[in-house]
Amino acid sequence: MSDDMVDRTRKLEETTVSNSLHEEEEERPVREKAEYEEEELHKLLVPDVSQLPPTPPSAVETNFVSYFAPDFMKPGNDQYVYRHANGLCVVGLASTHLAFKDKGGITAVDFNVGKSDRSSMKVTGKRKRNAQHFESNTALCKVCTGDDSYVVRCCVKGSLLEVNDRLIKQPELLNSSADREGYIAIIMPKPADWLKVKTSLLSLEEFKILRELC
Amino acid sequence: MSNDTEPAQVSSVAAESHAGACDAEMQLLEGAVRSLPYHVVKELLSVGVCARCVLRLFGIEEHIYCHSSFSQSMLGSILEEETSFKSEVEFQFCSVCLGVLQFSYCDDGEETVVKKESAKDMALSIAELVKQEGHQIDGFSLEVSVPPLILENESSLLSHMKKKYESEPWFQERLLSKCHSVKDVLKFAITKPLETLLGVKASASSFRIRLTYTHKRASKKVQNSVERNQECKRRKTGTENALHNVNDESVIADKDCSGYSTIETNSVTGIFSNGVQDQETSEHFESPIEKVSEPCHLVYVCCRTHIYLCGRYLKYSRNVSQTRWIIDEERMGEASVEEIIGSNILPICQGDNYKFHAAGREDIDVRMLGSGRPFLLEIQNARQVPSELIVKEMESKINGLENKSVGVKNLKVVGSQGWALMHEGEAEKQKQYCALVWISRPLEDEDMQTISLLNDMKILQRTPIRVLHRRSPLEREKIIHWMKIERIAGSSQYFLLHLCTQAGTYIKEFVHGDLGRTQPSVGSILGCRAEILQLDVTDVKMDCFVTE
Repeated sequence: MSDDMVDRTRKLEETTVSNSLHEEEEERPVREKAEYEEEELHKLLVPDVSQLPPTPPSAVETNFVSYFAPDFMKPGNDQYVYRHANGLCVVGLASTHLAFKDKGGITAVDFNVGKSDRSSMKVTGKRKRNAQHFESNTALCKVCTGDDSYVVRCCVKGSLLEVNDRLIKQPELLNSSADREGYIAIIMPKPADWLKVKTSLLSLEEFKILRELC
Repeated sequence: MSNDTEPAQVSSVAAESHAGACDAEMQLLEGAVRSLPYHVVKELLSVGVCARCVLRLFGIEEHIYCHSSFSQSMLGSILEEETSFKSEVEFQFCSVCLGVLQFSYCDDGEETVVKKESAKDMALSIAELVKQEGHQIDGFSLEVSVPPLILENESSLLSHMKKKYESEPWFQERLLSKCHSVKDVLKFAITKPLETLLGVKASASSFRIRLTYTHKRASKKVQNSVERNQECKRRKTGTENALHNVNDESVIADKDCSGYSTIETNSVTGIFSNGVQDQETSEHFESPIEKVSEPCHLVYVCCRTHIYLCGRYLKYSRNVSQTRWIIDEERMGEASVEEIIGSNILPICQGDNYKFHAAGREDIDVRMLGSGRPFLLEIQNARQVPSELIVKEMESKINGLENKSVGVKNLKVVGSQGWALMHEGEAEKQKQYCALVWISRPLEDEDMQTISLLNDMKILQRTPIRVLHRRSPLEREKIIHWMKIERIAGSSQYFLLHLCTQAGTYIKEFVHGDLGRTQPSVGSILGCRAEILQLDVTDVKMDCFVTE
């Protein structure tokens, strides 16, 4: 009750002070309050450096589980499958793929394989009903080096959502970052199909041991 | 003068109400009755029309119906004085209004027939319900819906009367004026007593009292008469009676209407305008209407329409989702903003349920800081509309919770315009963020320059892989309005990136590039690999729900 009275008398006092002084008085607490809030916010934003790891896990490491298909359909054809928690699979060439051993690395990528040009299909809609269904051994593209060419396959049975068409104009992406920007395609397998193929894939650890990468 | 010959019912009314008012009321009533053509009234009474229906068919003014008890025998006895008129004393349900205006109905729960003596008694049971529910109100709005059968009865009776009495002198004056609807008369009758009992006025209020009358006997002519008189949505329900129609808009959710039909109309119009219809209806019945043996079924409910509380929320935790998030019966995160705010406000408003709406959303691992995000909390059937003081208490309570994961600002009650305010220009509104970024090489001063020089930069984002399973594969153009790098003391490869972007921009993907599917990205701009460790929303640039 008494607080109420104090507030009311304070308000009365304020109205009797002259205009210019009044404005100043009003502005100062507002400005101070804003500055105070900024400071408080900033304190929350700045991290504790001692808690930061020297090298943080990458986005791929954080968001995907990596699997590998060594010698898929052909010796030396090592491919990876990154599986996201939402079920989507990103497929690409593992660093141990034969193509990288050729002098000059990869020079061209062609998606026109099999019956259609994989880079021309357009998937639309939430349900992605018009996506093409491929088997695990269906060809996705052909990568060419100076000496040779290699067929890259799906590895996972499912709907093809997207191919990395940037590789057409920038095949060097495969040489610099085959495990990231050089991915080949994104496939959406049905849960049952994934469970089946999973048994034939290796985990990162198993793959490292196999290829003596440790 | 006429007190000697008044029947017992009137004297009981006299006992209840103020003597002077009663006399004046009675005089008005008697005057009105005596102004009616006796032979017509006689005929109406003989086919089982109740006293109030008789009056309203002749368009007698509203205030007459406020007279609490007015029965057929009363009507008869007033007329008895004038003519040698012997009325049937035996009570029967009105053949037009089916007992509605006789305050008689079949009780919902017990299935027993209830006959209230007066409008006041009827108002009493309704007021009981309101008090039982514990509603705190400052007004009420009364809504009544009656079965289509009543309207049909009325229209066939009116057309019969037209045919029979068209030539008589009083007809032009009387019947051509609009007769009052059953709904209107019922409302006139019980509104005043309700106002007295509840202590508040009837007004356009968010607190609704709804009386729904239904009758077992399905109407046989709904298709014809009703279709001409109104435009409402309808759907057919397959029941034993093939012409059963149910009106979507007026049916109360919890009532099972499989055996009944009910309808809501605005006015009884066009009865005389369509000559063809008149012929149909009067040919159909031999006597104008059939007598009924049972009254309508009545359900009365009271509830408050949704109230809204608006404000801005802050989320300090990286393990709290915005809304309840449950996958395979397991909750994701330890709590949700929705539940923390809703569960602390609902009990105070004593509502049935709440719904949470926000202007946009952030991931579970992203904090919402700064000015906060605008939200709207919808409370269903609140028993108490919180005052300003109570709202302030609610805000303090939430901000003072032991688990300081959620904060609330500028909480207040708002009308339905809150919706529009919140969604106004949502897509254009800019958002400001602070991201903790790591790059694969040490940060140079040049980098800070490069970044801060980019203004209103366009980027192209393909649907991020993490949402690609449920969103359309599209390429979306977004704008990064400005960016600023803040160095972090003690680290050469970590820094804070402050940025302001167009609504709908995926920030995480803008930093790490999403395997090159967002171009440009922070990494591509700086020519190295960039990863994002933490993200905070620092400002949702919207004008709504701020302090005045």
